[in-house]
Amino acid sequence: MNSNNGKRFLPEGKHLLMGNVAMAEGAISAGLKFFGGYPITPSTEAIEHIAKRLPEVGGCCMQMEDELASINAVIGASLVGAKSMTATSGPGLSLMTETISMAANLEIPFVFCDVQRVGPGSAGPVTDPHHNDIGLIRFAGHGEFQVIALAPMNCQELFDLTITAFNFAETYRCPVFIMSDAYLGHLHEVVNIPPKEEILKRVIKRELPEDVTARVYSYKDRETGEYIIPKAPIMGTDYCPGIFLHMPHGPEGLPTPKPLEFMEMMIEKIKSNINKISMVDKHKLADAEIVIIAYGLPVRTSYRAVEIARNEGIKVGLLRLITVWPFPDDIVKEAVKDAKVIIVPELNYTGVIAEQIERVKKPTTPIIKIGKVGEFHHPDDILKVIREVAK
Amino acid sequence: MSDIAPMFPNEKPEHPYLKQSYGGKIFGNFASLFCGGCGYGIIGQIFTRVFEDEKLDPKLHPTIIGIGCYSQILLLVHEASQKVLALHGRAPAVATGMKMANPRMKPIIFSGDGDCLGIGGNHFIHICRRNVDCLIMIFNNSIYAMTGGQGAPTTLYGAKSTTTPYTMFENRSDGVKLALAAGAPYVARTTVAHPRTLMKYFRKALKHKGTSVIEIITPCVTYFGRKNLDSLGAEYLGGKGEKMDTGGRMIDWIKRNSVRINQAKFMTEEELFNKYVIGEFRYEPKPEYSGEYAKIQKIAMGGK
Repeated sequence: MNSNNGKRFLPEGKHLLMGNVAMAEGAISAGLKFFGGYPITPSTEAIEHIAKRLPEVGGCCMQMEDELASINAVIGASLVGAKSMTATSGPGLSLMTETISMAANLEIPFVFCDVQRVGPGSAGPVTDPHHNDIGLIRFAGHGEFQVIALAPMNCQELFDLTITAFNFAETYRCPVFIMSDAYLGHLHEVVNIPPKEEILKRVIKRELPEDVTARVYSYKDRETGEYIIPKAPIMGTDYCPGIFLHMPHGPEGLPTPKPLEFMEMMIEKIKSNINKISMVDKHKLADAEIVIIAYGLPVRTSYRAVEIARNEGIKVGLLRLITVWPFPDDIVKEAVKDAKVIIVPELNYTGVIAEQIERVKKPTTPIIKIGKVGEFHHPDDILKVIREVAK
Repeated sequence: MSDIAPMFPNEKPEHPYLKQSYGGKIFGNFASLFCGGCGYGIIGQIFTRVFEDEKLDPKLHPTIIGIGCYSQILLLVHEASQKVLALHGRAPAVATGMKMANPRMKPIIFSGDGDCLGIGGNHFIHICRRNVDCLIMIFNNSIYAMTGGQGAPTTLYGAKSTTTPYTMFENRSDGVKLALAAGAPYVARTTVAHPRTLMKYFRKALKHKGTSVIEIITPCVTYFGRKNLDSLGAEYLGGKGEKMDTGGRMIDWIKRNSVRINQAKFMTEEELFNKYVIGEFRYEPKPEYSGEYAKIQKIAMGGK
């Protein structure tokens, strides 16, 4: 399975790729070895492309009988040491949540690409975007645990952030989500593929630790209080906890009868590393009176809106969240500290992230949500609000 | 008293398999977590025996355990085997992922009747259809015992359970017929009352490359036996039965209620109603999934 015949990397340079394909290529560059999927609009192109590409690099792509089987096969493959992922959409995600909980419990690393579509239900305009799963994946499943979610905004980022997602999965051993959507997945854009040496330098490999008798699960260092996250266990080697593989484990990395300690470890191992995980883009924020906070597709229109508004002399800035979960509380708090108004353009009606911002902003700062479902924001939609509040 | 796990230290014989059993290794005279009369101890012992006698490589034979009473079997079976507790019904899917990520492995799946024929029926059908190299053991005790005796897809017609207090009226599902229809190349059924046959089938399945399905009829005294009469399966005789409230009575009932496949050919539908047909139903090796996928990989890589 480890054959590397040079087909793993696309040739260096510019390629015109579809979003789902760019994501797939990013995964293969990151060393994807197993993909279990089930066709669902709008993520189907991912499994189609991977079915063609993965056997070329000695990996395995399986179209399973349903979403439940595909995510469980992904977990199984990850348990024996293959980097694995799945791609699906909202209805598939809701089926898979049970297993996502199990993966979080056992600290099995895997990457999940969610190409979001209009929901709820499985009918309707399924080829239109709707950032509706962003709330579901915060605690994707039963039990409490922390996931990492990344929100790309173009095909280049779908490629790059997929590699980052695999690295996060290997490092923090939690479910990592790439929150794509129907427009982004079907968008064709130029993707600049870096030389393979550069990609290889970035990729964190799945390998055995030097000491295979070491503790397998994350634990809290008694002296420093830091969380140490060891490499993921690999079944079929000596680095496998045998009978303890399925048990909830506490801050010592050993089975515990106290669920509270287990929950604390589950969440704090990610939260204590939030500075390394949080990625944001601060665009003209320094003197901004009006702050736009966005993630995913609305960022593209927000950039344009900021540019036009700045030309008109309105002091507006943009905070772009690349990492959506864990929510970067401190960064957002700092960014909206001096803001007069916060504008949150989101591709959903509820405003899931707006609610999070409400939690960290000053109580007096007003927050304006611009919700859209099934369609893109036009820069004018945001500009109209900016001009109104700047009056 | 079984000699693999005696109740009292002074009874303890030096048994070679006891050292290999996880419970035995840690607790010495550890008996088991199962109720009196349960058949899972027998299965755990047989697994340990075969694992030890065949000198199976624990790294290449991961054990994937579903959800049911038998989930506790991981305390009884060979300590070296690497075990993973899958979600309810999803063990075949986990095994598929493992096998495809490391084709040298041969996963062994412990699954129950509710696990494999109820919630995980779809995964069971498709692992048989794909012919992924693995061994599926379905422990059929005709009841959902872990949750307290609810009706299962395999509960016999006319039996009582906590969710069918006025007798079961649904048709029962037959794991062997399902596996045969789905195309599993090796299908057999036996009972814990026939342990040597079970060992024989187990060894054969280990040597067979492809999906092997072995359904094992086991007794559940606590939730099935105490509620039901031993006239189940012999309705055509019209007699009144007795409660099967001991392990002995249940094993007796299982023996009486199972019919060998060669005898079953000469019996009528009515006589076979509510009976367990035991034996080997099919042994026709055919191309295995991971081997076929390796060919696809070769084509994709540009070879021939």
